[in-house]
Amino acid sequence: MSQPIDTESFTPSGSGVNASMLKVENVSKVYHNAGHELTVLSGANLSVDAGECCAIVGPSGSGKTTLLGLCAGLDQPSSGRISLAGNPLQSLDQDALAALRNQYVGFVFQSFQLLPTLTALENVLVPLELQGMRGGRKLAVESLERVGLGERINHYPTQLSGGEQQRVALARAFIHRPQILFADEPTGNLDSETSAPISDMLFELNRTAGTALVLVTHDNELAKRAGRVVKMRSGRIEGEERHG
Amino acid sequence: MDKPATSTPESGAPQPLPQGTFALMVHPWTWLMALRDSRKEWKRLLIFAASIVVGISALVTIHALRSSLEQGIDLQARALLGADLLITSREAFTDADREAIDALAEESSFEISFSSMLNFVDSGGARLVQVRGIEGAYPFYGEVLTEPDAAWRNHQARDGLLLEPALLEQFNASAGDQVKLGNASIEIIGTVQQPAPRSGRFAGFAPEVYLRASLLEATGLLTDRSIASFHAHLRLSEEMASAEVIEALRTRDGADLWRFETPESRRDQLGRVLDQFEQFLGLIALFSLILGAIGVASAMHAQIRRRRASIAILRCLGAPARASFAIYLIQAGLLGLVAAVAGGGLGVGIHFGVVYYFAETLPVLVEPMPNLWVVGQTTLAGFLACCGFAVLPLLQIRDIAPLQVLRQGGSTAQARRRALLRSLPVVAFLFVVMTLLSILNSTNLARSLVLTVGFAGVFGVLALVAWTFIALTRKLTTERLPYLLRQGISNCFRPQNQTMLFVLSLGLGVFLMLSTMLIRDLVLAQVQVSESEIGPNIYLVDVQSDQVDGVKALLEGNDLPVLESAPMVSMRVAEIKGVSIRELREQGLVGNRMVRREFRSSYRDHLNETETHLGGTWPPSDWDGNEPIPLSLEVEIAGDLGVELGDRMVIDVQGVPIEVEVQHLRAVDWSRFNLNFFMLFPPGVLEGAPGFTVVTTRIPPDETSGQLQRALVEAFPNVSAIDLTLLLETIRTILARVTQAIQLLSGFTLGAGCCILIGIFLNGRDQRIRESVLLRTLGASTRQLRSILCVEFGVLGLLAALTGGGLALVTYSALAHFAFELSPVFHIGQILLVLLASTVLSIFMGALFSRGVCAHSPLATLRQD
Ligand SMILES: Nc1ncnc2c1ncn2[C@@H]1O[C@H](COP(=O)(O)OP(=O)(O)OP(=O)(O)O)[C@@H](O)[C@H]1O
Ligand SMILES: [Mg+2]
Repeated sequence: MSQPIDTESFTPSGSGVNASMLKVENVSKVYHNAGHELTVLSGANLSVDAGECCAIVGPSGSGKTTLLGLCAGLDQPSSGRISLAGNPLQSLDQDALAALRNQYVGFVFQSFQLLPTLTALENVLVPLELQGMRGGRKLAVESLERVGLGERINHYPTQLSGGEQQRVALARAFIHRPQILFADEPTGNLDSETSAPISDMLFELNRTAGTALVLVTHDNELAKRAGRVVKMRSGRIEGEERHG
Repeated sequence: MDKPATSTPESGAPQPLPQGTFALMVHPWTWLMALRDSRKEWKRLLIFAASIVVGISALVTIHALRSSLEQGIDLQARALLGADLLITSREAFTDADREAIDALAEESSFEISFSSMLNFVDSGGARLVQVRGIEGAYPFYGEVLTEPDAAWRNHQARDGLLLEPALLEQFNASAGDQVKLGNASIEIIGTVQQPAPRSGRFAGFAPEVYLRASLLEATGLLTDRSIASFHAHLRLSEEMASAEVIEALRTRDGADLWRFETPESRRDQLGRVLDQFEQFLGLIALFSLILGAIGVASAMHAQIRRRRASIAILRCLGAPARASFAIYLIQAGLLGLVAAVAGGGLGVGIHFGVVYYFAETLPVLVEPMPNLWVVGQTTLAGFLACCGFAVLPLLQIRDIAPLQVLRQGGSTAQARRRALLRSLPVVAFLFVVMTLLSILNSTNLARSLVLTVGFAGVFGVLALVAWTFIALTRKLTTERLPYLLRQGISNCFRPQNQTMLFVLSLGLGVFLMLSTMLIRDLVLAQVQVSESEIGPNIYLVDVQSDQVDGVKALLEGNDLPVLESAPMVSMRVAEIKGVSIRELREQGLVGNRMVRREFRSSYRDHLNETETHLGGTWPPSDWDGNEPIPLSLEVEIAGDLGVELGDRMVIDVQGVPIEVEVQHLRAVDWSRFNLNFFMLFPPGVLEGAPGFTVVTTRIPPDETSGQLQRALVEAFPNVSAIDLTLLLETIRTILARVTQAIQLLSGFTLGAGCCILIGIFLNGRDQRIRESVLLRTLGASTRQLRSILCVEFGVLGLLAALTGGGLALVTYSALAHFAFELSPVFHIGQILLVLLASTVLSIFMGALFSRGVCAHSPLATLRQD
């Protein structure tokens, strides 16, 4: 199960070439529960280019989180193919998937998901440390300063408010310059005043660093700012809208 | 590699984390994360670690002591015997024997020892002593310390005796006083601080008195002793092996009744006795070690439970699957290391303490510094066991999917099966470690394997009983119970409860404590019997046939009853069913001891109340007075000799062979201390044979035998009074020491269990606070909250008490029946007390470690989530 994986063997995403960063082809997900099947995702197709910004909307239970999890290689589809930065996910084992995420992917979650035992700074450092990079501290402090938490670097998650925690999560998601960022309702737990700067930052990073952004949200306003809106219903992708 | 543009800060080329567990284990990042992760948990983890500290220190203590004792015995083996060879005989050595012995030895020393009354003329007291008449420069090795210093060196030249200081104290005597031994009046010339090696097997029950052998002539005691032993102590030249000497002497006439002892055989004999006791103690120590290891394992288990989310996030951020495993393995390892070092150190400390405080009780001189090699070895074994147990809960890490970041999910059946498969090698490893530990305990591999399986069995049974009780409680909790009670009970079954662990650790402690306590009481009660009942408590031995009437009259004159009076004649078995006993020995049909065994038999035509008729007739109905003579045999000895009703034997009565036929079998209740014999003859056979009479009497419980002994020694100086009460006192003291050691080690197990309990209480604290806050918000009063907590802790303690107590009662009954062959006695009050104590302990500790739970501010708690 664990053939030695070699991050260098990943196909480099075409820098400059307008290759597709994420490609989802005819993906389905079926849960088998106590004898009967539950199809939560069927025949989904989606393609996100490098640097593109895409929002996924849909009613609760329509399969948004499921799709996002599959795209990031956190779960296996029942059928269909997904490739991330040119790497077909089905051919990779857990460790290779982890290494791939560490190299190309950033995450922001609705419930922040900071490591409670680490300080803000240490949380931000983890992706760099996982890459084996030394001397990342300065970079981490900088990114915390960029999200306005330069004064709070040594605080633990429990000592921060929800909005602050999410900003730390944001700093952590960007520290290693991922080429694609997945955000599952990043402002879902926050009020509109707190969420505004967070979403601003997301879009700004998308623009300035050229990170592709896949954003799941209930907030139609937020979705519209993404430019491209994918609509889901009952496990199917119903259609797409382009704004602006 | 296509590096993201900004990931090249000031440092050199990034080195991705390795994938293998081992490579991860030595990677600095893993260590950094392990330390970061444990920052706020050390207190909790260390409390659990305390349990393994206790376990390891118990193990180290017992093994260090054991090796120290072994070493002491090895080094002092010669001094333990005092000679290169010791020959013991029931009969005096002839002049020819002496010559033969002297010819072989570089130097020799002869000794006669027997018990007799020593009469303190000045204070008018008398006491049974072990007299050792020595001739020559014994001991050749080791030293006898006396006060004054030169007394031992001089006693061969002077007319005087040396005795134990306690005797002087008891009778208010001092050196220079005259005492009477038999008919002779002898001066006390000093006291013995450190005695000469004991020569008799049963020595030690009476204080020893030393004097020159030639002085014994004047006492008149030498001729009419029923139990005297004769010893030859030999110092051999370097070239002479003791085996050769034994070989040369064994062929002499009568020498096959001699017992030969060398420093090696004495060492082995002492070693064997100690070894068995130590093995037993080692077993209890192993219990505390395993309990400690379980404590660490459960600490790690709780730690992983709390860290599920963190582990999922790490994997989500791209950490290799084995990274988290490595992180927690490092934590467990560090914990184990700290515990092992502390446990080893504590063990060394306890060793020092034991050697210092119990120096007098230990059979040999022991260095206070334990053998560090043994300490290291034991500590390492404990460390490995701890790590092995801790790895078990870590295995579940591999099953924490990164998807859990998005959605909390339980593990699938498939994942559980995988986890089970993965745990197999660890279980195998644990089995090997446990077997190694058992081998440390007893070097026999087969026995060690049995022991390991036995351990698994005990824990299995304990777990099963615990599980049953837990399930029952759950089932029996009905709606009808008052709310507070119901809430408290259901608290024990909240998700991620540690009820099972709790019941297991406290239950094991209760089990060990209660079962050792019950067994001790059973054995002690056995020793107590004679004092409470109507049986005899004074034996007057060595009464000559012409003194019997006088002794009886003396007893009656002192208002004491003559309970029994039995003549006693020594004899040996010569032939069984026509085959000589020596042949039988060569064929391996009877043991060596049977050949040497001296039976003291009696004759009477009735059975006493402690004897039960089993078969045949007694007294014999149609015996014509000729050989074969009818014989009544005790049933067990009949089994040992391999004879049944109707079988014939030849008995050697001090040189005269008599043919007998087994015509009666009986069982004897030996515990009642009546005068009983393995062989009973009909009257009219043994009357002429040299022998002695034993007369028993009973002194009322509140009186001492002092007055009787004085009167007796005046009138019949050769008669010895054995005071059973004193004898039993000695046995009780020894038993008390043994049980003390056992309970000390059981205490270790209880200690390890308590550490786990504290850990469990602390683990559940957050949960309890959250629940209390919730109930508070719903309007519960502090009193109600406290009651609920009390019920919870009480139920936990009670479950543990029932589990451990129930198992202890079963074990106790089984041991009493099969090992001690006694019917178990249940002191309901005592058992209830132990169960109550366990429950109260649980409530007390629970309350102690949940202090402030009810006083928590709801707001602060709700914010924390
Ligand atoms: N392990 C599972 N077993 C069975 N069904 C599941 C499982 N996980 C998710 N589902 C179902 O899949 C469907 C899609 O869930 P998903 O979380 O993707 O919805 P969502 O669009 O993210 O909803 P929301 O907006 O509420 O977050 C739901 O109906 C859910 O009940
Ligand atoms: Mg969702």
